Amino acid sequence: MTAGIVQTGSEERPGDATDERGEGDAGYSQQRWWQLLWSNTKARVGIILLLAFILIATFAPLIAPYEGTRSDFDALLPVSGDHLLGTTSQGADIFSQLVYGSRVSLLVGLFGGLVSTAIALVIGMWSGYKEGTVIDDILSFITNVAIVVPVLPLMIVLIAYSEVRGIPLIVFVIGITSWAGHARAKRSQIITLRNRDFVTAAKFAGEGSGRIIFREIMPSMTSLVAAGFVGASTGAIGAEAGLSFLGLGDPNSISWGTMLYQADSQGAVGQGLWAWVLAPGLILALLITSLTFINFGVDLLSNPHLREDS
Amino acid sequence: MTTTDATTAAATTESVPTSQTLAADTRRNSHPLLRVRDLSVRFEPKMSPALTAVDKVSFDLLEGEFVGLIGESGSGKSTLAMALLSLLERPGRISNGSIEFDGEDIASMSQEDLRHRRWRDIATVFQSSMNSLNPVMRVEAQFRDAIEEHSELRGDAVTERVRELFSMVMIDEKFMSAYPHELSGGMKQRINLALALCNRPRFVLLDEPTTGLDVVVQRSILEAVRRLQKEQGFAVLFISHDIGTVMELSDRIFVMYAGQLVEQQAATTLVKDPLHPYSKGLLGSYSNPRADTVRVTYIPGRPPDLTRPISGCRFAARCPEAIERCSSDEPQLLPLAGGRVACHVAHLQRGPSEDKPDGLPEQTTRFAGPEFVKTAEDSDRARRGEVFLEVDSVTKVFERRRGLRKQQTLAVDDVSFALRKGEVTALVGQSGSGKTTLARMITGVDKPSSGTIRFTGSEGTIAVEKLRTRQLRDYRKHVQMVFQDPYSSLNPALTLRYTLTRPLRNHRGLSAQEADAVAGELMETVALTPSNRFLDRYPHELSGGQRQRVVIARALAANPELIVADEPISSLDVSIRAEVLELLQELVTGHDIGVLYITHDLLSARLLADEILVLSQGRVVEQGNALEVIRNPQDAYTRTLLDAIPNPFEQATTTS
Amino acid sequence: MRYFVRKIAFFLATLWAAITLNFIIPRLQPGDPAEVMVQKLAGKDAQLNPAAVQAMRAMLGAPDGNLFTQYVSYLGALAHGDFGISYTYYPYPVTEVIGQALPWTLVLVGVTQILAFVIGITLGAYAAWRRNTRFDSIVTLGSTFIGTLPSFWIALLLLFVFGYTVGWFPTSGGYSASTPGFNGPFITEAVSHSFLPALSLLITAPIGWILGMRNTMVMNLGEDYIRLAKAKGLPDRVVALRYAARNALLPSVTGFAIALGGVLGGSILVEQIYDYPGMGRLMGEAIGNRDFPLLQTLLLFIIVGVLLANLVADLLYGVLDPRARRAQS
Repeated sequence: MTAGIVQTGSEERPGDATDERGEGDAGYSQQRWWQLLWSNTKARVGIILLLAFILIATFAPLIAPYEGTRSDFDALLPVSGDHLLGTTSQGADIFSQLVYGSRVSLLVGLFGGLVSTAIALVIGMWSGYKEGTVIDDILSFITNVAIVVPVLPLMIVLIAYSEVRGIPLIVFVIGITSWAGHARAKRSQIITLRNRDFVTAAKFAGEGSGRIIFREIMPSMTSLVAAGFVGASTGAIGAEAGLSFLGLGDPNSISWGTMLYQADSQGAVGQGLWAWVLAPGLILALLITSLTFINFGVDLLSNPHLREDS
Repeated sequence: MTTTDATTAAATTESVPTSQTLAADTRRNSHPLLRVRDLSVRFEPKMSPALTAVDKVSFDLLEGEFVGLIGESGSGKSTLAMALLSLLERPGRISNGSIEFDGEDIASMSQEDLRHRRWRDIATVFQSSMNSLNPVMRVEAQFRDAIEEHSELRGDAVTERVRELFSMVMIDEKFMSAYPHELSGGMKQRINLALALCNRPRFVLLDEPTTGLDVVVQRSILEAVRRLQKEQGFAVLFISHDIGTVMELSDRIFVMYAGQLVEQQAATTLVKDPLHPYSKGLLGSYSNPRADTVRVTYIPGRPPDLTRPISGCRFAARCPEAIERCSSDEPQLLPLAGGRVACHVAHLQRGPSEDKPDGLPEQTTRFAGPEFVKTAEDSDRARRGEVFLEVDSVTKVFERRRGLRKQQTLAVDDVSFALRKGEVTALVGQSGSGKTTLARMITGVDKPSSGTIRFTGSEGTIAVEKLRTRQLRDYRKHVQMVFQDPYSSLNPALTLRYTLTRPLRNHRGLSAQEADAVAGELMETVALTPSNRFLDRYPHELSGGQRQRVVIARALAANPELIVADEPISSLDVSIRAEVLELLQELVTGHDIGVLYITHDLLSARLLADEILVLSQGRVVEQGNALEVIRNPQDAYTRTLLDAIPNPFEQATTTS
Repeated sequence: MRYFVRKIAFFLATLWAAITLNFIIPRLQPGDPAEVMVQKLAGKDAQLNPAAVQAMRAMLGAPDGNLFTQYVSYLGALAHGDFGISYTYYPYPVTEVIGQALPWTLVLVGVTQILAFVIGITLGAYAAWRRNTRFDSIVTLGSTFIGTLPSFWIALLLLFVFGYTVGWFPTSGGYSASTPGFNGPFITEAVSHSFLPALSLLITAPIGWILGMRNTMVMNLGEDYIRLAKAKGLPDRVVALRYAARNALLPSVTGFAIALGGVLGGSILVEQIYDYPGMGRLMGEAIGNRDFPLLQTLLLFIIVGVLLANLVADLLYGVLDPRARRAQS
C-alpha cells in the first residue's frame, strides 16, 4: 500500500517500482538456488569442506596408509613418517582411524538425517494439514512431548537394551528420537502455506490435492526441509560421537567417537597423548562446521530478509 | 547550500532552483516550524542496487499548519517520514540536505540532543499502529515513560494527565491499565493519538494512521485528529494514500512521485485546479458516488525503477500531457498559481503565449488519461438479467471449541438474494459483517448451517450446499474467484503460464498445446500484451495491477458463469483501481458473466454494481438498485457508511 | 487462569507419557522381559540367578499377568516409590543409589543452566542491539564456531590443560578427603572438583541462548513499538531493555526445557570424563554393568526433572507475557 519501509522493516528497499512486497519473492526465482548458495561465502566454504570429507570417506583405502581396524603395531608409537599421528595404546594407527572414521560420521549423518527428516515431514505435514482436528491435537501432543524429553538419555537407554550394536541401530535410534523440533516447524509452515490464497486459487483451478501439495506447497517448503535435513544430520553426527564416546557405538568399526572413548578409557589425557585426543575432536568439529556453514546458505534461501543482514 | 540570506533570495529569479526561492516564501510567511531543504535519502543495500528513495525534497511547514502528503505506494512518502523523524535504519540514510526544526538542523544534531526534543516537539502516529504499543506493558506505563522522560510530572500527576488524554480521545479510563491486546484496533489507534499528544508537541507526523481500520472507525479517528489539532494548534504532516481524506482535512497538500515533491498547493486550490498531471490523476480516482454520472480516471503504467538513472521528468512515461521536453529536461519545483509545481507543461500552459511550443496540450483540470464512466442509465438497467443463483434463508453459525465448552457465533443470519446473468451485485459491509462468509458459502468453500443455495447453469440446477469434494471441483467450472490480495493469490514459485494453463486443462480438458494458445488469448483479454512476453514471467516481475489482471484471467479460464470478486481493488493503489474495475465491467458486458462484488467501499460499489446489498452483523439491512441505495439510503447503517466517504469535491462542485 | 490450568494439564499428561514410555521400553523385546534380560546379563548358557530375576521383576512389575495388570502394578510400585533394586549396588534400592548422585548433578546442571541462560541472554541481547558491529560479528561467529565443538571433547581438553598440565584443578571425583555434609572443607573441595565439569558445559551451553536471543531481538527491533519507543525519545537503555529485550526474552523462556535437555546430555558425558559422582556417571556404570533397573529409573528421573523445569518455565512465561494469560484459547 505504501512504501515498504514502515511495513516490513528496515531491510526493505522503498521506492523500488510499485511492489515492495513482491521483493521478498524476487530473489529466489531470479537466481537459481545453487547460485544463491554458492554466492554466500560461508555456504561455499561449507560445501567445499563437505565435498572434501566425502572424497576422503569414499577413497579411505587409498588415503589411509593402513586398515582402520588394524591394531598390530607397537603401542603408543610417536608421530613419525610411518604413523603420521602415532599409534594408540592398542597399537592402531591414529591417522588411519581418523580417515576411516569419516565414513561412520557421514553415513550416520546422511541416514540419521534422512530418517529424522522423514518422520518430521510425515508428522508435521499431517498434523498441519489436519489443523484443528483431533488428529492434529494428538500429533501435536506427541510432538510436544518428544520435544521436551531429553534426547541423549533416551537414546542411551534404547541402545543399552539392544543386543546388536551397530550403525543401523544408531541411525534408527537417532531418527526416532530427534524429529520433534523440525516436525513442529513444518507444521506451522504448512499451516501458513495452506491458508495462502494461492492454494485456494489452485483448488478453484480444479487441481487435486496431490498436485496442490507437490506443485504449489512443496516448492515453498523445500528450503525449510533442506535446512531441517542439514540440521538433523548435524545433530545425528554429534549424537553418534556422544554415544560412541559412552561405548555404545559399533564395536566393529572405527568412528571418531569410539576413538575418543578409547583415548579416555586408556587414560590418554593423563598421559599427555595429545594427538589421540585432539585429532578426532577437531576433525569432528570441522565436519560440523561445514554443515553449519551450509545451513547458513540454506537459511538465506528460505528467508530472503537475511540476505541483507549478513 | 541550505541557509540563504535574504538579499540573495530577493535577487533570485524564478528559474533558480528551490532553496533560494523557498527562502523567499519563508520571509513572506511567518517563521516556519519545519524547514526542509534538498533532503535526499539513499538506500545502499549490499546485495541489491542502491536507490535514492527521497530525492532533493524541500518544503516549509508552518506553526499550526495541517499539511497532507499524498502519492502512490513506493513514492517515498513513508521514507520521507522516517527521515523527518531521524528514524531511518540501515541500509537507508540521509545522504544530503537539512531538516530544520524551529531553526535547528535535526538531521545533523547528535542523537542525544535530538532525543531530548523527541516527543516534546515532534511526535508521531505510525502506520499500522496495531503494533506500535509494547505488547507486554500496560498502556499507562507506555504513557508514563514518555511523560516522565520529557516533563516534570511524576507519580499521580502523570496518572491524572493520562486520564485527561484518555478523555480527549474519548476512551474510558478503565483501559489505562489494559494491555494492548485487550484493545480493539480503533481503540489502539485513538490511544496512539493520545500518546502522541501527551507532551503537547508542536508537530505531529501522522503516517497512514488509519490504514487497515474500518471506514466508520477511520472516520471517527480522523475527526478526533482534526478537532484536537484545532484545539491545540499543533502542526501536522498527514501522510496517506487515502486522497479523499487528506483533501478534506488538510490546509495544504504535497504531492509526491518517485521520491520527489511534484506539487505543493493549498487544498482548496488543488481540488479545483490541480497543476501537475499526476495530481490530476490521483484526484481523478475520486468522485461523488451520488452523482448521476460518475467518472473515475486511472493512471496506466507504473512508477520508474529508482535504481536506474532517469532523465527528464519522472512521470513523463505515464503522462498523457507529456511533450518532447519532458523526456530530456528534469522539471524543477517552481512557484505557480499560488503553489509550486514541477511540470514543464503546467508552467508553459500558464505562461506567456509566445513561449508556448507547438503541440502543447490544452489546459485541463481533469486527468487526460483513461477514464471509467458510469451513468445513471447504466444503473437503470439493473435487475433485468436471468436469475442463475439463488440464496435462500442462508444462516451460518461457527462453532469454536474452547476446552469443553463450545462457543457459537452467528456469522450470517437468514440472508436471501439472487444473482442475475450479466449483472454485478455488490455485497457491502465492514469487516465482520459476514460478507466473506457468504462468498465462501456461494463458492462451496463453506457449508451453510441452514438454508439453500441453488445454482442454475449450463448443466442444470445444482444444490451448492450439498456438494461433495468431487462435485465441488465440477461446480468450480461455473464459479470462480478473484482474491483480495494479488500478492498472495499467485504462487511466487510458478510462472504465469503454469498458473493460467492449469484451469484450462482441468476445467476445459484442453491439451497442453491448446491450453497454451488459450492462455495467450486470456492474457490479451486482460490487456497484458504481448502475451508471450508475460507468460514466462513470475508474479514478482509484475506490478500489483498487472497481477490482479492475471488473477482475473485465471478466473476467466474456466469460462465461468459467476465470478466472486472479494475486495479485488482494496489492496491496489488508488491510481490504478479504476483500471481493474473497468476490466471487470468489460467482463460483465462482454461475456455475460454474473459478478458478486464484495467490498467495504460504496464508491466502488456504485461504479461497478447494478444491485447493492448492505450487510451488517450477518443480516441484510438494505437491498436495491445501486444508485437508489446510494442516493436514498433507508437504513441508518447505510447512511453511516455513506457519511464515512470523504467528499473533498463537495465544495468544489457547489462553487463551480 | 486458563493458561496456567492448561500448562499444568500438559505437565501431567507428559508425566504420564514419560512414565508409560518407561514401562514400554523394556517390554519392546519378545519373551519374559525379566528372564530375557537376566539371560543377557549372564550370557546364554549361564544359570539363571534367582536374585537377579527378582531384581528385574521388581523393576518390571508382575511379568506373569497380561500387559494391563503389569501396567497397573507398575504404576502401583511407582506410587510407593518402589523403583526396584540396583544390580550394580545390590542390594540397595535404585532410589537410594540415585539419591546419592542426584544433588551432584542437580547443582552442576542447575548452576550451569542458569549461568548459561544469563550469559546467553545478555550477550545475545547486546549483540542484537549493536547488530552489524564488530562486537556482534565476534559474538555471532564465535558462537557458531564454539557451537560446533562437542562438549565432551572440550571437557577432555580442559582436563588435559587445567587438570594435568597446569594442575590447577583436581582431575576426578567430587571431593577427596573431607566428609560430605554442610561443612567448609567439603564445600571448598566440591566446588574445586565441580569447576572443570561446569566450565566444560558452560562453554557451549550459552550458545543456543545467544543466537536465539540475538535473532529474535533483531527481528523485534524492526517492530513498530520499538520505532515508536525511539521516537518517544526514551534513552537507549530503556528502549533496549524494557522494549526490545523484554519482548525478545519470551521465546527464549519457552526453549528452556530443550536447552536443559541438552545440558543434561552433555553432563552425562562430562561426568564420565571427570568421574564426577552424579547421575551421568551412574548412567555410565549402569550401561557398563547392564544394570537396567538403575538405567531405567535414571531415565525416568531425568525426564521428570526436565518436565518440572519445563512447567516452571511455562508458568513463568504466563507471568511474563500478558497475551498468553488471557488471549490464548
